[in-house]
Amino acid sequence: MSSYAPISMVALFCYICLLMAFLASKKTRLIRSFIFLLAVLSLWTLGSLGLRTGFLDLPGFWFYMSIDALFFLCFAYFRFISEYTGIKAPAPGRLWLIGTVIIVIVNTVTQGLFIGTPDIIKTAEGASYVYHTSWPIIIPLVFCAIIVAHCIWLLIAYSRDNTAVGRQIAPIVIGMLCLLFGNAAASLPVFRAFPIDIISGVVNAVMIFIALYKRRLFKLTLLVSRNVCYLISIVFTALAFTMAVDRFEAPLIRALGGLGRYYVVFAALAFLLAVLAVNFLISRFVNHVFIRSELAQADDLSDFSQNISKTLNADEILIQLTRIIEKTMHTEKVYICLKDSETGDFPIAQSSSPLDERTILLSKDNPLVLWMGRNKDCILMNQLKKLPIYKAMWEKEKNQIAQMQVECLLPLVDEQSLIGLVLLTGKVKKGQYTIQDQTYLQQLASMSSMAIKNSRMYEKAYREARTDSLTGLLNRNYFLETLKEEYGRRGDRELTLIFIDLDDFSLYNQLYGSQEGDVALQRAAGIITASVGANGHVARYEGKIFAVILPGYDTRMACNLAETIRVQIKDMNSRARDYAIKTLTCSCGICTIPLGASNVRQLISNTNLAVYNAKRNGKNCTRTYSEGPVDQPTTADPSATKRHKAGIYQAYADTVYALTAAIDTKDHYTFQHSQNVCYYATALAKAYGQDEDCVEIVKEAALLHDIGKIGVPENILGKKGRLTQEEFDIIKKHVEQSINIIRYLPSLDYVIPAVLGHHERYDGTGYPRGLKGEEIPLQARILCVADSFDAMMTKRSYKDPYPLDYAISQLDQCAGKQFDPVLARVFIGLLRDGTVEIKPGSFEEKS
Amino acid sequence: MKFERKLKELNKEEVWSDYCGFLDLSVEDFMLIQNRLMAEQIDLWSHSRLGQSLLDGRDCSSVESFRRTFPLTTYEDYADVLLMKRGDMLPDQPIVWIQTTWEGGRHPVKLAPYSRSMLETYKDNVISCLILSTSTGKGEFDVNTGDTMLYGLAPLPYATGLLPLLLDDEIHLEFLPPVKEAEKMSFSERNKKGFKLGMKKGIDLFFAVGSVTYYISKSFGAMAGKSGSKLKAMTKFSPLILMRYLQARSLCRREKRELIPKDLFRLKGFMCAGTDNRCYKDDLEKLWGIRPVEVFAGTEPGCMGCETWARNGLYFYPDSNFFEFIPFREMEKNEEDPTYQPRTLLMDEVKEGEMYELVISVLKGGAFMRYRVGDVYRCLGFGSREEGTVLPRFEYLDRVPSIIDIAGFTRITENSINTVIDLAGIPVEDWFACKEFSDDNRPYMHLYIELKAESIKHSAMTCELLREHFSVYFKYLDNDYQDLKKILGIDPLKITILMTGSFKKYYETGAGRMRKINPSSHDKRIFLKFCELPYRGGVY
Repeated sequence: MSSYAPISMVALFCYICLLMAFLASKKTRLIRSFIFLLAVLSLWTLGSLGLRTGFLDLPGFWFYMSIDALFFLCFAYFRFISEYTGIKAPAPGRLWLIGTVIIVIVNTVTQGLFIGTPDIIKTAEGASYVYHTSWPIIIPLVFCAIIVAHCIWLLIAYSRDNTAVGRQIAPIVIGMLCLLFGNAAASLPVFRAFPIDIISGVVNAVMIFIALYKRRLFKLTLLVSRNVCYLISIVFTALAFTMAVDRFEAPLIRALGGLGRYYVVFAALAFLLAVLAVNFLISRFVNHVFIRSELAQADDLSDFSQNISKTLNADEILIQLTRIIEKTMHTEKVYICLKDSETGDFPIAQSSSPLDERTILLSKDNPLVLWMGRNKDCILMNQLKKLPIYKAMWEKEKNQIAQMQVECLLPLVDEQSLIGLVLLTGKVKKGQYTIQDQTYLQQLASMSSMAIKNSRMYEKAYREARTDSLTGLLNRNYFLETLKEEYGRRGDRELTLIFIDLDDFSLYNQLYGSQEGDVALQRAAGIITASVGANGHVARYEGKIFAVILPGYDTRMACNLAETIRVQIKDMNSRARDYAIKTLTCSCGICTIPLGASNVRQLISNTNLAVYNAKRNGKNCTRTYSEGPVDQPTTADPSATKRHKAGIYQAYADTVYALTAAIDTKDHYTFQHSQNVCYYATALAKAYGQDEDCVEIVKEAALLHDIGKIGVPENILGKKGRLTQEEFDIIKKHVEQSINIIRYLPSLDYVIPAVLGHHERYDGTGYPRGLKGEEIPLQARILCVADSFDAMMTKRSYKDPYPLDYAISQLDQCAGKQFDPVLARVFIGLLRDGTVEIKPGSFEEKS
Repeated sequence: MKFERKLKELNKEEVWSDYCGFLDLSVEDFMLIQNRLMAEQIDLWSHSRLGQSLLDGRDCSSVESFRRTFPLTTYEDYADVLLMKRGDMLPDQPIVWIQTTWEGGRHPVKLAPYSRSMLETYKDNVISCLILSTSTGKGEFDVNTGDTMLYGLAPLPYATGLLPLLLDDEIHLEFLPPVKEAEKMSFSERNKKGFKLGMKKGIDLFFAVGSVTYYISKSFGAMAGKSGSKLKAMTKFSPLILMRYLQARSLCRREKRELIPKDLFRLKGFMCAGTDNRCYKDDLEKLWGIRPVEVFAGTEPGCMGCETWARNGLYFYPDSNFFEFIPFREMEKNEEDPTYQPRTLLMDEVKEGEMYELVISVLKGGAFMRYRVGDVYRCLGFGSREEGTVLPRFEYLDRVPSIIDIAGFTRITENSINTVIDLAGIPVEDWFACKEFSDDNRPYMHLYIELKAESIKHSAMTCELLREHFSVYFKYLDNDYQDLKKILGIDPLKITILMTGSFKKYYETGAGRMRKINPSSHDKRIFLKFCELPYRGGVY
């Protein structure tokens, strides 16, 4: 075998590899023309290889295969360039084909009219050929030169109309020049035996391959499949074995010795191993050199798809999208703008770095947004700038985009509308975004769009379920949930709750209508939210009551915050525009765990109490809760407050008296009973160390606790003998009826918890709510002791008064069951030491 | 990327789309661009001291409210700020101040500021005109680096002087003669030098005022013949021009005619601007072998529109100005009652065949808002199948009726004629003037005069005498008028002396007052019929 034969073999191998790959790929007219060119080049090289190696000793056959393929090469080239440039030349094309066929036939039939079988001179370096040509060789040479000239003209015409494609066609031109040079050089003595023409052919094929790749006419991942690799391996190994069989057969048989008869089996085994080895090498080579990046992108895409399918958090999806774009595109910065459902504008929702400028907003009528909305396609900024619609951009907008250095825009599209935009800056290594990149980005965008849409729908539903529709604050349910969560994770830290109750809001609504009331609520909510910021949670607890959960806040800090809010709300309506509107104020109550409460229920209850205190202090003030005697008002000086409170209590006392007098006309016993309970309860509250406010609440609650009996029929109230269950149910309703009466008196609503809870039992078996232990407000527990004691000590229609000892023993026995054990013992102490006198009860009642 | 680089690196479709893509806009998209840029301009303008002083607290929160509340303006509204070059009062810092004559104004010139953004837009639109002037179809154009341009327009500080400077930033074009040399030359020197260089280097592009182009083209034969020794001159011709010259000489001898430009030059692009271009286009086509593309530009509005390869009406650029159109009837109502605020229409509201006075708001930091340019256009229709467009096409008709503009050179108003009559000391009883066109379609001003009866007895008063007399004073008052004669060699004044008492008798018939300048064709026809004089039509 010639020493240069491996060069031809490698060339042939390259052609066959390409041929196999393209035969397996999706074919277009251009790809077909390239396959044809490769086939011609393969035949040419095969013929040359056969001639050089003297394979099968058929020099004539190999020569004509080689020379005919060479004649066809011009036509194949012409066909390829015609397809590549898109310049159709059907008539000349047919002429070149017919001419080529005629030349081939004539040369073959005449046994070398133009060029005949060469003389082969074998030397140590290999075989060289001596060709015998005569003047008719000019005919095919001129013919080929015309075709080559036509090819050149096509390329010139193509580049004239498309000045930008110069770089695209450069490989083709280089390949052509290489081929011409190789064939010309082959006739030089220096390349006598060296297959320079074959090498130039390989360079040419590679150049064409590069030109096609630049046009993105195929994807390497699609081109190089596993089957193609196997096929190439088999063909290559078969060729190698065919070439080597003569040289290695005899030495191998000799080496095998006795096993020589199994030579074929060993050869087959060796062939198989060789195929596998070659295949392994090819696969590794292709994976690492050509398609690694494509495979990596595909892997990243798959990971991205899995990651975003696992989450319903839109922010998380945006972060994932930003990361994958940065990773796969090597983009310096990525900005994601999402549509604001209210305004329709597109603010930046996510970007590569938290330090990025995110104040930029693309308005809904921004030409970029409009174009994206219409075309739903990835576009480069340079392309967009050429569109007429770009003229509608404001200078400010152009500058913004220029400052962001946006180079590529990607739409995030719902089924019908644009939901977002991804803005990509340049690549780290200053590369351009290719069509392949854009296709990849589109895939990312379509995956993300669906995920973002779903997550936003989920978030919307989640938000709606947890927020108050009017104010946008947390609703009551979510407030309780959040409070419990914060309580759960508070550890050693304080947890403070503020209730902010708008004063006389019913009156405000009646004066200005509920619409104005809603506006006031929204504005108050805005003030509170702005003041609290990220330090806590703000909720709309009830109609006109806002709640603020402040983890880590102590009472003092909470007081300052509450005061800030109170002052802002007071000033809320004092602007010139609203001069006609009543000034809206609020009363704030504060309670802190662990100082004022030890659990969530207590916290809520005691904060409520603090609000009631504030209300009682003349409203528009802040009060903190504490069970001890010290409960300093946070506003005004103490002496003034005392005088002020005295005035308020006097005003309330008149109302309370009017109400109790009303029941007196219907049921005198109840009136007397209320007076007695008031006496006992006040004494107990004082003895328990409650402050003046609390004592006053207890006093008024005691006077009003049975006011609901106005609605109970007299025959039931005065019935002698045992009540039926039905009658008892009616009697039980007096608690709610009391509340119904008191709630119409906004200035007395602070007594409601005490009145509502005075029939609750400490063990949780009472009514109406079945509260248990310290869930029952303190004042209610006091009232319960006093009410029960008076019931025992007075004559009823169904019983005589019990002796004091019996009553005390009952109090003692029921401590911890019906009564708060501490309060019961305090009260027993008061009875025993005579601090409390026994009040007379001359009328009967049923309770 | 500069235009020159685009030509090298992009394909033709991309370059076309970049500069002429606006032709593919739908009317809705055109209006979208207009409204958006107008909103930007209102924002900029209303924050400037000029804007605040003119707005005087009016609502400008939207384009609609601005149009509703802000009245139309004239140069008089801006004169105090602009004539003092108060750049600090403008929406954007001016880079250059452009000058033009202020016809009938209280100052001889008007000044208009150009901001950086305006100049950028101006540049893009000028390149678009350049491309369109060489175009033979959509995306088919032929502009190359090094093309030679014979440029017959005035240098800075006139608006036309911006064009070579702006183009020079974007592409290397060889101006004939070079701009720096041309600035120092007189008009005729420029033309002679330009043609001389053209003989040497060829002429690819030609841009000038239509009337001027016509007259210099007509005198081309004479210029070519007079350029010194023919043999010596021929040694300086390019071989191609020389070949054509020799061929043309024999052809001209055979056809017994003078040498015309098309014998020697093959223009790629031919642009003309100014008034009365339609009077010259046919002749120019015969002279150059290519029909000129009309470009629409002005000192205040900049480059605002251009015709395409079809030469079938102009398309306005969407980003130069915000365009409003006063219907002709509204314009007349405003003339009768100057306090009347005429209604304006937008680009998507105009109707085919109607005449409109143009109102512009200069975008991108311009000073002029709702400004009456004083030009009248006719809408030729919406779109063209040949051009594949849907936008409205317009034809430039003339200046507003109150101004007589002859060939883009002079602008005569009622005031200027009254002044001339006063200066001339001719006892004129009454008069009216109108622009008319001669049999060979050339514009002239026709002054119909009734002399005072008593003066006829003592003075020689013939039409010729009066024409000579008035011409002296027109030239004295108006340099541009002088140029008409000097540059174009035309005397645009025709006098008709009316019978004494004509006006009095006419008005006694109960006829309404006629406009003194360009009376409506109806009024004029009736009056001339009354005077038993022949009627010749004008523009209106």
